[in-house]
Amino acid sequence: MAEPTADAAIAALVAASRRSAVGRRLQGEVEQSLLQSIVDATVRLFDAEAASIALFEHDPDRLEFRVAAGDKGAGAVGLAVPPTQGIVGYVYSTGQALALSDVGNDPRFNRDAAEQTGYVPRSIAAAPLFDEHGTLGVLQVLDKRSSPTFSLRDMELLGVFAGQATVAIAAAKVQRDTARLLASVLAEIGPELEAEQVDALVASATANLDTDDEAPFWRMVDQIARMRGMSDREMSLVADILEVVAGHAERTQRGRIGQ
Amino acid sequence: MTSSELPAWSEPFADPRRDLRRSLRLRGVTRKWAWGDATGAGVRVGIIDSGLENDHPRLRGRVVQNVTVEMTDDGPKVVPDGTADMFGHGTACGGIILSMAPEVELVSIRVLGADLRGKGTAFAAGLEWAIEQGLQVCNLSLSSKSESLYPIFHDLADRAYFQSTVLVSAANNVPAASYPSLFSSVFSVAAHPEPDPWRVYYNPAPPVEFGAWGVDVPIAWKDGGSTVATGNSFAAPHIAGLVALILSKHPGLSPFEVKAVLASVADNPGRRHPWRHRTDAAG
Repeated sequence: MAEPTADAAIAALVAASRRSAVGRRLQGEVEQSLLQSIVDATVRLFDAEAASIALFEHDPDRLEFRVAAGDKGAGAVGLAVPPTQGIVGYVYSTGQALALSDVGNDPRFNRDAAEQTGYVPRSIAAAPLFDEHGTLGVLQVLDKRSSPTFSLRDMELLGVFAGQATVAIAAAKVQRDTARLLASVLAEIGPELEAEQVDALVASATANLDTDDEAPFWRMVDQIARMRGMSDREMSLVADILEVVAGHAERTQRGRIGQ
Repeated sequence: MTSSELPAWSEPFADPRRDLRRSLRLRGVTRKWAWGDATGAGVRVGIIDSGLENDHPRLRGRVVQNVTVEMTDDGPKVVPDGTADMFGHGTACGGIILSMAPEVELVSIRVLGADLRGKGTAFAAGLEWAIEQGLQVCNLSLSSKSESLYPIFHDLADRAYFQSTVLVSAANNVPAASYPSLFSSVFSVAAHPEPDPWRVYYNPAPPVEFGAWGVDVPIAWKDGGSTVATGNSFAAPHIAGLVALILSKHPGLSPFEVKAVLASVADNPGRRHPWRHRTDAAG
Protein backbone atom coordinates (compact mmCIF):
# COMPACT_ATOMS: atom_id res chain seq x y z
CA MET A 1 0.00 0.00 0.00
CA ALA A 2 1.43 3.41 -0.95
CA GLU A 3 1.79 5.43 2.23
CA PRO A 4 0.07 8.71 1.27
CA THR A 5 -3.02 6.83 0.02
CA ALA A 6 -3.12 4.75 3.18
CA ASP A 7 -2.88 7.87 5.34
CA ALA A 8 -5.68 9.51 3.39
CA ALA A 9 -7.80 6.39 3.74
CA ILE A 10 -7.22 6.21 7.49
CA ALA A 11 -8.04 9.91 7.79
CA ALA A 12 -11.28 9.32 5.91
CA LEU A 13 -12.15 6.42 8.20
CA VAL A 14 -11.42 8.50 11.28
CA ALA A 15 -13.65 11.28 9.97
CA ALA A 16 -16.42 8.77 9.23
CA SER A 17 -16.09 7.30 12.73
CA ARG A 18 -16.38 10.71 14.28
CA ARG A 19 -19.45 11.55 12.26
CA SER A 20 -20.94 8.21 13.24
CA ALA A 21 -20.20 8.83 16.92
CA VAL A 22 -21.80 12.26 16.73
CA GLY A 23 -24.83 10.76 15.02
CA ARG A 24 -25.12 8.14 17.71
CA ARG A 25 -24.91 10.80 20.38
CA LEU A 26 -27.64 12.82 18.72
CA GLN A 27 -29.86 9.82 18.06
CA GLY A 28 -29.27 8.00 21.32
CA GLU A 29 -31.94 9.71 23.32
CA VAL A 30 -34.45 9.35 20.53
CA GLU A 31 -33.85 5.61 20.38
CA GLN A 32 -34.02 5.33 24.14
CA SER A 33 -37.29 7.22 24.42
CA LEU A 34 -38.91 5.24 21.60
CA LEU A 35 -37.89 1.96 23.22
CA GLN A 36 -39.15 3.23 26.56
CA SER A 37 -42.54 4.02 25.05
CA ILE A 38 -42.70 0.50 23.66
CA VAL A 39 -42.05 -1.21 27.02
CA ASP A 40 -44.48 1.21 28.68
CA ALA A 41 -47.17 0.16 26.20
CA THR A 42 -46.25 -3.52 26.58
CA VAL A 43 -46.56 -3.49 30.34
CA ARG A 44 -49.92 -1.70 30.19
CA LEU A 45 -51.42 -3.88 27.49
CA PHE A 46 -50.35 -7.12 29.13
CA ASP A 47 -51.14 -5.77 32.59
CA ALA A 48 -47.79 -7.24 33.56
CA GLU A 49 -45.43 -6.71 36.47
CA ALA A 50 -42.56 -5.75 34.17
CA ALA A 51 -41.40 -5.47 30.58
CA SER A 52 -37.91 -4.77 29.31
CA ILE A 53 -35.73 -4.70 26.20
CA ALA A 54 -32.19 -6.09 26.14
CA LEU A 55 -29.94 -5.27 23.19
CA PHE A 56 -26.86 -7.15 22.05
CA GLU A 57 -23.54 -5.38 22.62
CA HIS A 58 -19.97 -6.41 21.72
CA ASP A 59 -16.80 -6.65 23.83
CA PRO A 60 -17.71 -8.55 25.82
CA ASP A 61 -20.67 -10.16 24.07
CA ARG A 62 -23.68 -9.46 26.23
CA LEU A 63 -27.38 -8.64 26.26
CA GLU A 64 -27.79 -5.34 28.01
CA PHE A 65 -31.16 -4.27 29.41
CA ARG A 66 -31.67 -0.78 28.05
CA VAL A 67 -35.21 0.11 29.08
CA ALA A 68 -37.77 -1.34 31.47
CA ALA A 69 -41.27 -0.54 32.69
CA GLY A 70 -43.71 -1.75 35.29
CA ASP A 71 -43.70 -1.94 39.07
CA LYS A 72 -41.03 -4.62 39.12
CA GLY A 73 -39.10 -3.55 36.05
CA ALA A 74 -36.78 -0.78 37.20
CA GLY A 75 -34.05 -3.05 38.59
CA ALA A 76 -33.31 -4.53 35.19
CA VAL A 77 -31.97 -1.39 33.48
CA GLY A 78 -28.22 -1.54 33.01
CA LEU A 79 -28.04 -5.23 33.84
CA ALA A 80 -26.17 -7.38 31.31
CA VAL A 81 -26.47 -11.13 30.82
CA PRO A 82 -24.37 -13.46 28.62
CA PRO A 83 -26.14 -14.31 25.36
CA THR A 84 -25.49 -17.97 26.08
CA GLN A 85 -27.61 -18.16 29.20
CA GLY A 86 -31.17 -18.11 30.33
CA ILE A 87 -34.39 -17.59 28.47
CA VAL A 88 -33.40 -14.22 27.06
CA GLY A 89 -30.15 -15.77 25.78
CA TYR A 90 -32.00 -18.65 24.16
CA VAL A 91 -34.49 -16.38 22.44
CA TYR A 92 -31.63 -14.17 21.24
CA SER A 93 -29.59 -17.15 19.97
CA THR A 94 -32.42 -18.95 18.18
CA GLY A 95 -34.71 -16.11 17.18
CA GLN A 96 -37.58 -18.22 18.55
CA ALA A 97 -40.18 -16.56 20.75
CA LEU A 98 -41.11 -18.58 23.83
CA ALA A 99 -42.80 -18.38 27.19
CA LEU A 100 -42.20 -20.26 30.42
CA SER A 101 -44.38 -20.39 33.50
CA ASP A 102 -43.72 -21.75 36.96
CA VAL A 103 -40.14 -20.55 36.57
CA GLY A 104 -40.06 -19.00 40.04
CA ASN A 105 -40.91 -22.32 41.65
CA ASP A 106 -38.13 -24.13 39.89
CA PRO A 107 -34.93 -23.77 41.89
CA ARG A 108 -32.93 -24.43 38.73
CA PHE A 109 -34.28 -21.42 36.89
CA ASN A 110 -31.54 -18.90 36.20
CA ARG A 111 -32.25 -17.06 39.43
CA ASP A 112 -28.94 -15.26 39.60
CA ALA A 113 -29.85 -12.81 36.89
CA ALA A 114 -33.42 -12.51 38.15
CA GLU A 115 -32.32 -11.80 41.69
CA GLN A 116 -29.94 -9.09 40.54
CA THR A 117 -32.98 -7.20 39.32
CA GLY A 118 -34.59 -7.60 42.73
CA TYR A 119 -37.46 -9.58 41.25
CA VAL A 120 -37.88 -13.30 40.51
CA PRO A 121 -40.83 -13.82 38.15
CA ARG A 122 -43.30 -16.70 38.06
CA SER A 123 -43.73 -16.51 34.30
CA ILE A 124 -41.83 -14.95 31.44
CA ALA A 125 -42.49 -14.44 27.72
CA ALA A 126 -39.75 -13.30 25.37
CA ALA A 127 -39.63 -12.44 21.67
CA PRO A 128 -36.62 -11.63 19.48
CA LEU A 129 -36.08 -8.24 17.84
CA PHE A 130 -34.69 -8.89 14.42
CA ASP A 131 -34.16 -7.14 11.14
CA GLU A 132 -32.97 -8.55 7.83
CA HIS A 133 -29.40 -8.92 9.13
CA GLY A 134 -30.15 -10.89 12.27
CA THR A 135 -31.24 -10.64 15.88
CA LEU A 136 -30.63 -7.33 17.68
CA GLY A 137 -32.04 -8.14 21.09
CA VAL A 138 -35.00 -9.42 23.05
CA LEU A 139 -38.26 -7.99 24.39
CA GLN A 140 -39.47 -9.73 27.53
CA VAL A 141 -42.57 -9.53 29.70
CA LEU A 142 -42.75 -10.82 33.26
CA ASP A 143 -45.87 -12.01 35.07
CA LYS A 144 -49.16 -11.13 33.48
CA ARG A 145 -51.39 -10.25 36.41
CA SER A 146 -54.57 -11.74 34.94
CA SER A 147 -53.16 -15.20 34.18
CA PRO A 148 -50.34 -17.48 35.33
CA THR A 149 -49.38 -18.24 31.70
CA PHE A 150 -49.13 -16.58 28.30
CA SER A 151 -51.48 -17.48 25.43
CA LEU A 152 -50.78 -17.75 21.71
CA ARG A 153 -52.44 -14.37 21.28
CA ASP A 154 -50.03 -12.94 23.86
CA MET A 155 -47.09 -14.33 21.92
CA GLU A 156 -48.39 -12.79 18.74
CA LEU A 157 -48.89 -9.43 20.41
CA LEU A 158 -45.42 -9.60 21.86
CA GLY A 159 -44.12 -10.23 18.33
CA VAL A 160 -45.88 -7.06 17.14
CA PHE A 161 -44.28 -5.00 19.91
CA ALA A 162 -40.91 -6.55 19.13
CA GLY A 163 -41.41 -5.46 15.52
CA GLN A 164 -42.08 -1.90 16.67
CA ALA A 165 -38.92 -1.91 18.74
CA THR A 166 -36.93 -3.12 15.75
CA VAL A 167 -38.25 -0.25 13.65
CA ALA A 168 -37.28 2.21 16.39
CA ILE A 169 -33.76 0.81 16.48
CA ALA A 170 -33.37 0.58 12.72
CA ALA A 171 -32.95 4.32 12.22
CA ALA A 172 -30.22 4.66 14.84
CA LYS A 173 -28.61 1.27 14.35
CA VAL A 174 -25.85 2.28 11.99
CA GLN A 175 -24.68 4.96 14.38
CA ARG A 176 -24.98 2.55 17.30
CA ASP A 177 -22.21 0.39 16.01
CA THR A 178 -19.43 2.36 14.37
CA ALA A 179 -16.95 -0.50 14.29
CA ARG A 180 -19.41 -2.81 12.57
CA LEU A 181 -20.29 -0.14 10.04
CA LEU A 182 -16.63 0.41 9.14
CA ALA A 183 -15.89 -3.31 8.98
CA SER A 184 -18.76 -3.93 6.60
CA VAL A 185 -17.76 -1.03 4.36
CA LEU A 186 -14.13 -2.20 4.31
CA ALA A 187 -15.14 -5.74 3.45
CA GLU A 188 -17.17 -4.37 0.58
CA ILE A 189 -14.55 -2.08 -0.95
CA GLY A 190 -11.55 -4.30 -0.28
CA PRO A 191 -12.61 -7.90 -0.70
CA GLU A 192 -8.95 -8.96 -0.75
CA LEU A 193 -8.41 -7.70 2.81
CA GLU A 194 -7.95 -10.38 5.46
CA ALA A 195 -10.21 -10.28 8.53
CA GLU A 196 -7.22 -9.28 10.69
CA GLN A 197 -6.39 -6.40 8.37
CA VAL A 198 -9.97 -5.16 8.53
CA ASP A 199 -9.89 -5.40 12.33
CA ALA A 200 -6.61 -3.48 12.48
CA LEU A 201 -7.92 -0.72 10.20
CA VAL A 202 -11.14 -0.42 12.21
CA ALA A 203 -9.17 -0.30 15.45
CA SER A 204 -6.91 2.47 14.23
CA ALA A 205 -9.82 4.49 12.89
CA THR A 206 -11.79 4.30 16.12
CA ALA A 207 -8.93 4.29 18.64
CA ASN A 208 -8.76 8.01 19.22
CA LEU A 209 -12.45 8.65 19.06
CA ASP A 210 -12.90 11.03 21.92
CA THR A 211 -15.49 9.50 24.21
CA ASP A 212 -14.69 11.57 27.28
CA ASP A 213 -18.15 12.81 28.22
CA GLU A 214 -16.71 15.97 29.73
CA ALA A 215 -14.71 16.96 26.66
CA PRO A 216 -16.03 20.33 25.38
CA PHE A 217 -16.88 18.90 21.96
CA TRP A 218 -19.12 16.17 23.34
CA ARG A 219 -20.72 18.54 25.81
CA MET A 220 -21.69 20.65 22.85
CA VAL A 221 -23.08 17.65 20.95
CA ASP A 222 -25.10 16.71 24.02
CA GLN A 223 -26.49 20.22 24.29
CA ILE A 224 -27.53 20.08 20.66
CA ALA A 225 -29.22 16.72 21.27
CA ARG A 226 -31.20 18.35 24.07
CA MET A 227 -32.40 21.06 21.71
CA ARG A 228 -34.55 18.69 19.68
CA GLY A 229 -37.66 19.61 21.61
CA MET A 230 -37.21 23.34 21.09
CA SER A 231 -39.53 25.63 19.19
CA ASP A 232 -38.42 27.14 15.87
CA ARG A 233 -37.96 30.51 17.57
CA GLU A 234 -35.63 29.13 20.22
CA MET A 235 -33.82 27.11 17.61
CA SER A 236 -33.16 30.17 15.44
CA LEU A 237 -31.97 32.08 18.51
CA VAL A 238 -29.43 29.31 19.20
CA ALA A 239 -28.37 29.34 15.55
CA ASP A 240 -27.78 33.13 15.79
CA ILE A 241 -25.68 32.70 18.93
CA LEU A 242 -23.63 29.95 17.28
CA GLU A 243 -23.09 32.15 14.24
CA VAL A 244 -21.71 34.95 16.44
CA VAL A 245 -19.43 32.50 18.28
CA ALA A 246 -18.22 30.92 15.03
CA GLY A 247 -17.56 34.38 13.53
CA HIS A 248 -15.57 35.32 16.61
CA ALA A 249 -13.56 32.09 16.40
CA GLU A 250 -12.76 32.70 12.73
CA ARG A 251 -11.60 36.25 13.39
CA THR A 252 -9.42 35.09 16.29
CA GLN A 253 -7.88 32.41 14.08
CA ARG A 254 -7.24 34.83 11.22
CA GLY A 255 -5.65 37.21 13.73
CA ARG A 256 -3.33 34.43 14.91
CA ILE A 257 -2.35 33.49 11.36
CA GLY A 258 -1.77 37.14 10.50
CA GLN A 259 0.63 37.64 13.41
CA MET B 1 -44.56 -9.87 -0.18
CA THR B 2 -43.51 -7.47 2.53
CA SER B 3 -42.93 -8.82 6.00
CA SER B 4 -45.96 -7.04 7.42
CA GLU B 5 -48.21 -9.03 5.10
CA LEU B 6 -47.01 -12.38 6.41
CA PRO B 7 -49.58 -14.13 8.55
CA ALA B 8 -49.16 -15.16 12.16
CA TRP B 9 -48.42 -18.83 11.71
CA SER B 10 -50.56 -20.16 14.54
CA GLU B 11 -53.67 -18.32 13.35
CA PRO B 12 -55.33 -21.21 11.43
CA PHE B 13 -54.90 -23.55 14.42
CA ALA B 14 -56.70 -21.14 16.75
CA ASP B 15 -59.96 -21.74 14.87
CA PRO B 16 -59.83 -25.10 13.06
CA ARG B 17 -63.53 -25.00 12.21
CA ARG B 18 -63.03 -21.88 10.16
CA ASP B 19 -59.64 -22.42 8.58
CA LEU B 20 -58.98 -26.14 8.43
CA ARG B 21 -62.11 -27.59 6.87
CA ARG B 22 -60.30 -28.95 3.86
CA SER B 23 -58.71 -32.33 4.43
CA LEU B 24 -57.72 -35.38 2.47
CA ARG B 25 -58.70 -38.82 3.77
CA LEU B 26 -56.81 -41.72 2.29
CA ARG B 27 -58.74 -44.96 2.48
CA GLY B 28 -57.16 -47.33 4.96
CA VAL B 29 -54.72 -44.75 6.30
CA THR B 30 -55.93 -44.49 9.89
CA ARG B 31 -54.01 -43.71 13.06
CA LYS B 32 -54.00 -47.41 13.83
CA TRP B 33 -52.43 -48.16 10.47
CA ALA B 34 -50.06 -45.20 10.74
CA TRP B 35 -48.58 -45.78 14.19
CA GLY B 36 -50.70 -48.30 16.12
CA ASP B 37 -48.43 -50.32 18.48
CA ALA B 38 -45.37 -48.40 17.28
CA THR B 39 -42.76 -47.33 19.83
CA GLY B 40 -40.25 -45.51 17.66
CA ALA B 41 -37.87 -48.48 17.86
CA GLY B 42 -35.24 -48.47 15.13
CA VAL B 43 -35.55 -44.74 14.47
CA ARG B 44 -32.79 -42.26 15.29
CA VAL B 45 -33.87 -38.66 15.84
CA GLY B 46 -31.41 -35.76 15.72
CA ILE B 47 -32.04 -32.84 18.08
CA ILE B 48 -30.32 -29.80 16.56
CA ASP B 49 -30.45 -27.48 19.55
CA SER B 50 -28.72 -26.52 22.81
CA GLY B 51 -27.54 -30.05 23.69
CA LEU B 52 -29.15 -32.93 25.59
CA GLU B 53 -28.84 -33.67 29.27
CA ASN B 54 -28.33 -37.42 28.92
CA ASP B 55 -29.09 -38.30 32.54
CA HIS B 56 -32.28 -36.24 32.79
CA PRO B 57 -35.04 -38.54 34.13
CA ARG B 58 -37.22 -37.83 31.10
CA LEU B 59 -34.52 -38.87 28.64
CA ARG B 60 -34.09 -42.23 30.38
CA GLY B 61 -30.76 -43.09 28.78
CA ARG B 62 -32.11 -42.85 25.24
CA VAL B 63 -29.34 -40.52 24.07
CA VAL B 64 -26.87 -42.46 21.94
CA GLN B 65 -24.53 -39.70 20.79
CA ASN B 66 -23.68 -36.07 21.62
CA VAL B 67 -21.80 -33.91 19.15
CA THR B 68 -21.24 -30.20 18.71
CA VAL B 69 -19.84 -27.93 16.05
CA GLU B 70 -16.44 -26.38 16.60
CA MET B 71 -15.57 -23.27 14.61
CA THR B 72 -11.98 -23.75 13.44
CA ASP B 73 -9.76 -21.78 11.07
CA ASP B 74 -10.56 -24.39 8.42
CA GLY B 75 -14.29 -23.91 8.91
CA PRO B 76 -16.83 -25.65 11.12
CA LYS B 77 -16.00 -29.13 12.40
CA VAL B 78 -18.28 -31.65 14.12
CA VAL B 79 -16.68 -33.02 17.30
CA PRO B 80 -17.84 -35.10 20.31
CA ASP B 81 -19.67 -33.08 22.96
CA GLY B 82 -20.40 -33.41 26.67
CA THR B 83 -23.74 -34.52 28.01
CA ALA B 84 -25.03 -31.17 29.20
CA ASP B 85 -27.64 -28.77 27.87
CA MET B 86 -26.73 -25.09 27.75
CA PHE B 87 -30.28 -23.84 28.12
CA GLY B 88 -32.58 -26.80 28.75
CA HIS B 89 -34.32 -26.37 25.42
CA GLY B 90 -32.86 -29.39 23.62
CA THR B 91 -33.69 -31.57 26.61
CA ALA B 92 -37.27 -30.23 26.53
CA CYS B 93 -37.60 -31.24 22.85
CA GLY B 94 -36.05 -34.68 23.46
CA GLY B 95 -38.41 -35.26 26.39
CA ILE B 96 -41.48 -34.46 24.29
CA ILE B 97 -40.38 -36.82 21.51
CA LEU B 98 -39.72 -39.66 23.98
CA SER B 99 -43.09 -39.13 25.66
CA MET B 100 -44.67 -40.12 22.33
CA ALA B 101 -42.09 -42.49 20.87
CA PRO B 102 -40.37 -43.98 23.94
CA GLU B 103 -37.97 -46.25 22.08
CA VAL B 104 -36.37 -43.83 19.62
CA GLU B 105 -32.65 -43.16 19.91
CA LEU B 106 -31.75 -39.51 20.30
CA VAL B 107 -28.66 -37.87 18.83
CA SER B 108 -27.73 -34.47 20.22
CA ILE B 109 -26.25 -32.03 17.71
CA ARG B 110 -25.46 -28.93 19.75
CA VAL B 111 -25.29 -25.75 17.67
CA LEU B 112 -26.07 -23.25 20.45
CA GLY B 113 -24.20 -22.05 23.48
CA ALA B 114 -20.73 -20.87 24.50
CA ASP B 115 -19.02 -19.81 21.28
CA LEU B 116 -21.77 -20.68 18.85
CA ARG B 117 -24.10 -17.76 19.40
CA GLY B 118 -26.16 -16.99 16.38
CA LYS B 119 -23.68 -18.61 14.05
CA GLY B 120 -25.77 -19.79 11.15
CA THR B 121 -22.76 -21.60 9.72
CA ALA B 122 -22.53 -23.82 12.84
CA PHE B 123 -26.21 -24.61 12.48
CA ALA B 124 -25.75 -25.48 8.79
CA ALA B 125 -22.73 -27.68 9.59
CA GLY B 126 -24.68 -29.51 12.30
CA LEU B 127 -27.58 -30.09 9.95
CA GLU B 128 -25.26 -31.34 7.20
CA TRP B 129 -23.67 -33.80 9.62
CA ALA B 130 -27.10 -35.09 10.70
CA ILE B 131 -28.06 -35.66 7.06
CA GLU B 132 -24.76 -37.42 6.33
CA GLN B 133 -25.36 -39.75 9.29
CA GLY B 134 -28.63 -40.81 7.71
CA LEU B 135 -30.76 -39.92 10.75
CA GLN B 136 -34.39 -40.57 9.85
CA VAL B 137 -35.78 -37.50 11.64
CA CYS B 138 -34.28 -34.18 12.75
CA ASN B 139 -35.98 -31.72 15.08
CA LEU B 140 -35.05 -28.10 14.36
CA SER B 141 -36.37 -25.55 16.80
CA LEU B 142 -34.23 -22.84 15.30
CA SER B 143 -33.66 -21.32 11.92
CA SER B 144 -31.43 -18.75 10.30
CA LYS B 145 -32.32 -15.34 8.92
CA SER B 146 -29.07 -14.96 7.06
CA GLU B 147 -29.71 -14.31 3.35
CA SER B 148 -26.22 -15.54 2.55
CA LEU B 149 -27.01 -18.96 4.03
CA TYR B 150 -30.21 -19.32 2.04
CA PRO B 151 -28.64 -21.38 -0.79
CA ILE B 152 -26.79 -23.61 1.70
CA PHE B 153 -29.93 -24.42 3.65
CA HIS B 154 -31.84 -24.90 0.43
CA ASP B 155 -29.29 -27.43 -0.76
CA LEU B 156 -29.30 -29.21 2.63
CA ALA B 157 -33.11 -29.37 2.72
CA ASP B 158 -33.12 -30.91 -0.77
CA ARG B 159 -30.46 -33.44 0.19
CA ALA B 160 -32.47 -34.41 3.28
CA TYR B 161 -35.64 -34.74 1.25
CA PHE B 162 -34.08 -36.87 -1.48
CA GLN B 163 -32.54 -39.30 1.00
CA SER B 164 -35.71 -39.42 3.15
CA THR B 165 -34.47 -37.60 6.23
CA VAL B 166 -37.50 -35.79 7.64
CA LEU B 167 -36.70 -32.27 8.85
CA VAL B 168 -39.25 -31.04 11.39
CA SER B 169 -38.92 -27.32 11.89
CA ALA B 170 -40.55 -24.85 14.29
CA ALA B 171 -41.98 -21.88 12.40
CA ASN B 172 -40.98 -18.49 13.70
CA ASN B 173 -44.06 -16.83 15.05
CA VAL B 174 -42.63 -13.48 14.17
CA PRO B 175 -43.17 -12.42 10.58
CA ALA B 176 -39.86 -12.66 8.76
CA ALA B 177 -38.14 -15.00 6.36
CA SER B 178 -36.27 -17.82 8.06
CA TYR B 179 -34.39 -20.80 6.68
CA PRO B 180 -35.03 -23.67 6.43
CA SER B 181 -38.18 -23.49 8.57
CA LEU B 182 -40.48 -22.36 5.78
CA PHE B 183 -39.06 -24.41 2.88
CA SER B 184 -41.62 -26.62 1.18
CA SER B 185 -39.62 -29.81 1.77
CA VAL B 186 -39.50 -29.48 5.57
CA PHE B 187 -42.31 -30.19 8.05
CA SER B 188 -43.04 -26.68 9.26
CA VAL B 189 -44.91 -26.62 12.58
CA ALA B 190 -46.75 -23.96 14.58
CA ALA B 191 -48.51 -24.27 17.94
CA HIS B 192 -52.15 -24.96 18.72
CA PRO B 193 -53.41 -24.42 22.26
CA GLU B 194 -55.26 -27.70 22.90
CA PRO B 195 -53.51 -29.71 25.63
CA ASP B 196 -53.28 -32.99 23.72
CA PRO B 197 -49.98 -34.29 22.35
CA TRP B 198 -51.80 -36.45 19.81
CA ARG B 199 -53.90 -33.66 18.34
CA VAL B 200 -52.45 -32.66 14.99
CA TYR B 201 -53.76 -30.36 12.31
CA TYR B 202 -52.84 -30.19 8.65
CA ASN B 203 -52.94 -26.67 7.26
CA PRO B 204 -53.85 -26.66 3.57
CA ALA B 205 -52.66 -23.04 3.33
CA PRO B 206 -48.88 -23.21 3.80
CA PRO B 207 -46.07 -22.24 4.45
CA VAL B 208 -46.79 -23.71 7.87
CA GLU B 209 -48.22 -27.17 7.19
CA PHE B 210 -48.81 -28.69 10.62
CA GLY B 211 -50.18 -27.62 13.99
CA ALA B 212 -49.36 -29.40 17.25
CA TRP B 213 -49.64 -28.70 20.96
CA GLY B 214 -47.41 -25.77 21.90
CA VAL B 215 -49.16 -23.84 24.68
CA ASP B 216 -48.52 -24.54 28.37
CA VAL B 217 -46.68 -27.76 27.60
CA PRO B 218 -45.08 -29.43 30.63
CA ILE B 219 -41.46 -29.91 29.64
CA ALA B 220 -38.13 -31.22 30.89
CA TRP B 221 -35.67 -28.42 31.66
CA LYS B 222 -32.01 -28.17 32.56
CA ASP B 223 -30.39 -29.75 35.62
CA GLY B 224 -33.00 -32.47 35.86
CA GLY B 225 -35.74 -29.88 36.21
CA SER B 226 -39.09 -29.28 34.58
CA THR B 227 -41.26 -26.31 33.73
CA VAL B 228 -44.23 -25.28 31.60
CA ALA B 229 -43.61 -23.62 28.27
CA THR B 230 -45.27 -22.02 25.25
CA GLY B 231 -43.86 -21.64 21.76
CA ASN B 232 -43.70 -23.18 18.31
CA SER B 233 -40.45 -24.82 19.34
CA PHE B 234 -42.44 -27.06 21.69
CA ALA B 235 -44.98 -27.88 18.97
CA ALA B 236 -42.35 -29.16 16.52
CA PRO B 237 -41.18 -32.10 18.70
CA HIS B 238 -44.76 -33.37 18.92
CA ILE B 239 -44.74 -33.73 15.14
CA ALA B 240 -41.21 -35.19 15.24
CA GLY B 241 -42.52 -37.79 17.73
CA LEU B 242 -45.39 -38.75 15.43
CA VAL B 243 -43.08 -38.95 12.42
CA ALA B 244 -40.74 -41.22 14.39
CA LEU B 245 -43.66 -43.51 15.24
CA ILE B 246 -44.79 -43.62 11.61
CA LEU B 247 -41.27 -44.38 10.38
CA SER B 248 -40.73 -47.08 12.97
CA LYS B 249 -43.83 -48.84 11.74
CA HIS B 250 -43.31 -48.05 8.06
CA PRO B 251 -39.56 -47.76 7.48
CA GLY B 252 -38.53 -46.18 4.20
CA LEU B 253 -41.50 -43.87 3.69
CA SER B 254 -40.42 -40.68 1.95
CA PRO B 255 -41.06 -37.27 3.55
CA PHE B 256 -43.78 -36.69 0.96
CA GLU B 257 -45.51 -39.93 1.98
CA VAL B 258 -45.18 -39.16 5.70
CA LYS B 259 -46.79 -35.76 5.12
CA ALA B 260 -49.67 -37.43 3.28
CA VAL B 261 -50.14 -39.90 6.17
CA LEU B 262 -50.18 -37.08 8.73
CA ALA B 263 -52.62 -35.06 6.62
CA SER B 264 -54.87 -38.09 6.30
CA VAL B 265 -55.09 -38.76 10.03
CA ALA B 266 -55.13 -35.11 11.11
CA ASP B 267 -57.83 -33.77 13.44
CA ASN B 268 -59.12 -31.26 10.93
CA PRO B 269 -62.89 -30.91 11.26
CA GLY B 270 -65.02 -32.76 8.74
CA ARG B 271 -63.86 -36.27 9.57
CA ARG B 272 -66.67 -38.74 9.96
CA HIS B 273 -65.23 -40.49 12.97
CA PRO B 274 -63.04 -38.07 14.86
CA TRP B 275 -61.62 -40.66 17.24
CA ARG B 276 -58.13 -40.49 18.56
CA HIS B 277 -55.88 -43.46 18.85
CA ARG B 278 -53.18 -43.68 21.49
CA THR B 279 -50.56 -46.36 21.22
CA ASP B 280 -50.24 -48.74 24.16
CA ALA B 281 -46.62 -47.91 24.61
CA ALA B 282 -47.22 -44.21 24.82
CA GLY B 283 -49.97 -44.73 27.38
